[in-house]
Amino acid sequence: MNLGYDPADEAFRDELRAFVDEHAPPEIKQGRDWIGDDEDTDADGIMVIPAWARRWQATLFDHGWMIPGYPPELGGRNATPIQTLIYLEELASRGIPRSVHFGGYAIVGPSLLEFGDEAQKALAPAAIRGDTVWCVGMSEPDAGSDLANLSTRAIDDGDSFIVNGQKVWTSYAVVAEKCFCYVRTDPDVPKHKGISVLIIDLDTPGVQIRPLYHVSHRAEFAEVFFTDVVVPKANLVGALNDGWRITMGALAHERGSLWVEGVMGAQRGIDDLVVLAHARGLADDAVVRRRIAELASQVRALRAMGYKGFSSFAQGSSAPEHSFMKLATSEVRQAIFELAIDLQGAERAVTDPAVAYEGARWQRSWLTSLASTIGGGTSEIQRNVIATRVLGLPRD
Amino acid sequence: MDFRLSDEQELLVDTARALFTNECPSTLVRSVGADPAAASALFDRHLRDWVPLAAPPPDGSQVDLSLFLVEAGAAVAPGPFLATAGLFAPLLVAADHDLAQAAVAGQVTGTVALAGADGTWGPDAGRTRTQVIDVHLVDHVAVVTPGPGLVVVAADSLERRDIETLDLARRYSSLELDTPLVAAADALDPAVLDDAIERMALAVAAELVGVARWLVDTSVTYARQRVQFGRPIGSFQAVQHKLVDMALAYEEASAAVAHAAMCLDADDPDRHRAVHVAKASAGRAARRAGRDGMQVHGGIGYTWEHDLHLRLRRAMADDALVGTHEWHLDRLADLLMAPS
Repeated sequence: MNLGYDPADEAFRDELRAFVDEHAPPEIKQGRDWIGDDEDTDADGIMVIPAWARRWQATLFDHGWMIPGYPPELGGRNATPIQTLIYLEELASRGIPRSVHFGGYAIVGPSLLEFGDEAQKALAPAAIRGDTVWCVGMSEPDAGSDLANLSTRAIDDGDSFIVNGQKVWTSYAVVAEKCFCYVRTDPDVPKHKGISVLIIDLDTPGVQIRPLYHVSHRAEFAEVFFTDVVVPKANLVGALNDGWRITMGALAHERGSLWVEGVMGAQRGIDDLVVLAHARGLADDAVVRRRIAELASQVRALRAMGYKGFSSFAQGSSAPEHSFMKLATSEVRQAIFELAIDLQGAERAVTDPAVAYEGARWQRSWLTSLASTIGGGTSEIQRNVIATRVLGLPRD
Repeated sequence: MDFRLSDEQELLVDTARALFTNECPSTLVRSVGADPAAASALFDRHLRDWVPLAAPPPDGSQVDLSLFLVEAGAAVAPGPFLATAGLFAPLLVAADHDLAQAAVAGQVTGTVALAGADGTWGPDAGRTRTQVIDVHLVDHVAVVTPGPGLVVVAADSLERRDIETLDLARRYSSLELDTPLVAAADALDPAVLDDAIERMALAVAAELVGVARWLVDTSVTYARQRVQFGRPIGSFQAVQHKLVDMALAYEEASAAVAHAAMCLDADDPDRHRAVHVAKASAGRAARRAGRDGMQVHGGIGYTWEHDLHLRLRRAMADDALVGTHEWHLDRLADLLMAPS
């Protein structure tokens, strides 16, 4: 066991720092917890992708800094897993996002490369560079935690499929050109075995997208309705009825480092809490100090746990530690934001930008953070999965 | 940050685990209250040779000592190993005391009298020393006197008052420091004492991680086997989620202890925070595992016969030994909240 990194890996970090210092757009508010703070919306609160974000993602890709573990033609530089960890650590500790929409580079691009035919693989670079914006059609009104229960139906019509149904909570659909869409192609077999993936161009007749405002009254989500949408057979990804295998998070070499952003975000939250406590004149309050220390100790322990799991991951073994990270970091971040609101005393509910503390950013972050224990698998589902897969308990 | 164990460390863990499984059954743990000689015998036959893990690098390391103490904790090991290797030797090494080499070599045993009347661990002005463990089993007591100062005296020369605690396998005593004893002490640099306290706290934290691990493993195993309503209770979500939260707290503590051990071995500037995090996390993880582990076990876990309460008791006692988790959190807050 040891603390540091090899000189070669430190050189990698130095090169990254120099690149970021030179190229990061000034619009990125570095060093802030940007949960709910920097995602840009139009006058109606509907998500837009700002020009600087498009430029930044393309710049990262062109310099091999978008997905460092990939080869240069896919926006990378064949980085090792440890270098990928350093990369994510460095960006996350500075609060710099790679992209404001993760569907394309994190899910669709890697899935196309793994499961697509040659024509579909050719779509991956643009997905990763952000030139094509993608959404992923998974959740439906009756398929949330029980995702395999999805019922959007694709019926074989010779050269094409005819799609009918509805998706919901579809992130980025309001700005996307294409949807990586999970559909039911066989209703007569067990539910996991009748699902396929189609690429659906969102300008196809019969597609309707309705922005879905969440509790912050912003809309990154949408409902997507399909009415007799004609999708060419060539847009089937992988084999028919084999879609359940094409699961999320296909960036295999980043899997050991997915925890980094959550932990680093929480660490920035702790740093900001300390500043807030001083600003509110509560830095000497014994209860406040204890509560901050409790959260800080958990965040630091989680950080150690992430690195411990990474050591197993880099060795090629499974890392039980990482199964806990999404669950733990999402819950601790909610607690950090809630404490920050408590520190504002009787003014904790004030969000008027003219008078609210720091423009009510803590209140916005708190509201946004409430999604993190629901999206991507609820905390309850996370616990079920850990119970059966990590602890080996019998299924319910 | 690389948490991988070397081949030698893997072997150390396997050897220690086998040693405690074979030589430290719960019958022994339960016997030492009435028969202290059994604890001394365990130490002399099987544990004394491992004290040199407490030597400073390269001969020993905090990482290796922690790995061994985790296994000791899982077994609720009684005897003077923790006092000698986890408390006495680090203090003497930090203070560069004449007996340091003999302590690290396992040639002499000892314990530390440091906690004040309020139970806190740090230089204080009082003359009462509480939470002195296993005085009856060791050769020497390293007494930290007001000032601070340090004096090492023969254990049987001291008048001690034994104090019953929740921990059935470890004896606690308190001492009153008389004037000649205080006068005999050599001055101790407060920074040296702080360093020693961090090493002592980490040793107890490692033991707590072992306690937590046993409780999580045993509770998970029980939930897989125990059938009610026609199915294993581990298939019920309410039970599953409790076990997941116990396991999460254990994993956090385990990683925090390993990280703090690396920081101490590397003399990393982050070591102070890392140790406070480790001790606070370990104390809370072990207590949660004891409390919720008993709940998962239901009635059988509440019996005297079941070994669970041995760990529940040690968890509570160790949480207070070398600083309660609240004390460590408050020290962490001091470091976090200091104007930068």
